[in-house]
Amino acid sequence: MPENATKNDRGLRIGVCGPVGTGKSSLIALLCRELSADLEIGVVTNDIYTDEDARFLRSAGVLDPARIRAVETGACPHTAIRDDVTANLIAVEELEEEFAPLDVVLVESGGDNLTATFSKGLVDHQVFVIDVSSGDDIPRKGGPGIERADLLVVNKTDLAPYVGVDPVAMVSDAGSVREGRPVIALSRTDPASVEALVEWVRSELARHRGGALVPADPGPMAPHFHADGTSHTHDHQHA
Amino acid sequence: MSDDLLMMLLADARLPVAGHTQSGQLEAAVRSGLTAEQVPPFMRSRLASVVRVEAGTAVVALHRLRAGLPLEPVCDAWAARTPAAPMRDTSRTLGRALLRLVRRLFPDSPHLAEVAGLERPCRPIVLAAAAATSGIAPASLGRLVAYDDLQTVASASLKLLPLDPLDATSWVHELLPGAERLATDVAPLTEPHHIPAPSAPQLDLWAQTHAHTTRRLFSA
Repeated sequence: MPENATKNDRGLRIGVCGPVGTGKSSLIALLCRELSADLEIGVVTNDIYTDEDARFLRSAGVLDPARIRAVETGACPHTAIRDDVTANLIAVEELEEEFAPLDVVLVESGGDNLTATFSKGLVDHQVFVIDVSSGDDIPRKGGPGIERADLLVVNKTDLAPYVGVDPVAMVSDAGSVREGRPVIALSRTDPASVEALVEWVRSELARHRGGALVPADPGPMAPHFHADGTSHTHDHQHA
Repeated sequence: MSDDLLMMLLADARLPVAGHTQSGQLEAAVRSGLTAEQVPPFMRSRLASVVRVEAGTAVVALHRLRAGLPLEPVCDAWAARTPAAPMRDTSRTLGRALLRLVRRLFPDSPHLAEVAGLERPCRPIVLAAAAATSGIAPASLGRLVAYDDLQTVASASLKLLPLDPLDATSWVHELLPGAERLATDVAPLTEPHHIPAPSAPQLDLWAQTHAHTTRRLFSA
């Protein structure tokens, strides 16, 4: 059965999450457009109420519509990517079986809040997407996705002048809470930023194939301080 | 160990088996006008129809697993009593979800290995294999199927209708005697042709309509 396969025998599973309207579907469409010429790709979407995201991707014409699956989550996008990933995992496995061998499966979470991140049981890597129009305080608000997703994308930088946000400061704020993890300021009208995103996926795919990629959990909790002066993350339990 | 704790484990809504994607046709029913007051009769009508088939299927499969008899006739009997293709598809998908979990819990179970060898086993047959492995009695298995359905609909109703969550749980509580009766009725069944064959054409229609809508919270 697929779950018994060692990780690098199958394709790389990348999760894309982040709040509603930050451009997750567009980012996936962009990746399909840039990568589908030489990579075999599948996509699973998790709309809360419609199959709008799946339809958007199908109509974008960047991927065979049969390779795009919509999974209904009973209004629980956070549950479906973290606590009970079963429905998504089955959709991923079905795509991988039907279109074998796939190089990359992209899983798009339903838009949720700043705390929703993927389980390691569902994806190998995850991208957290925020955008300039949500406000330049978002990176400072932090949370597991912003601080510890494998990649943070600050999207729609071309809109920055219209919403009064300095994207450079936003990326810098994000960088300061991410301890060196990558941040990409993305605009689909900026080819260099698109290239940076595509390169990130390609290099992670190479690491995955070489067995060097070890999934890391952004976790539900930020590291925090206790009154006794100790700090810790929640990789372990409170005493 | 009594089977109580294993029953609790298998009946827990927090089990990672995709339960949160299901409404038991309630979403389609609400779309076609079902009101909050009509949810308890809706649950009762499920107990009298589709749940009866599922519970009977599970109990007969449990008997055959323990007796070393083939399961294919049970699969066929269930499919013949589940005329809506989307319902069959949903049950098979949920069977796959449950099988993923119980194979992890009971990796050495020959019953689960047997069921895993079937072509897309439906959920009650997977549940029967888990019951056969963990020593759950036929009546308990029937209770498990019935209880799970009541809670699935009650939980979905909170997302679909303006309700007080205490009301929804009260409905489940009030219908427990009905679930108990159903479990008692199906417990002695041993043959595929014993599996009850009630029909609920409205539920079948709702399942089929729902499968084609593009605006929905729940998979089914």
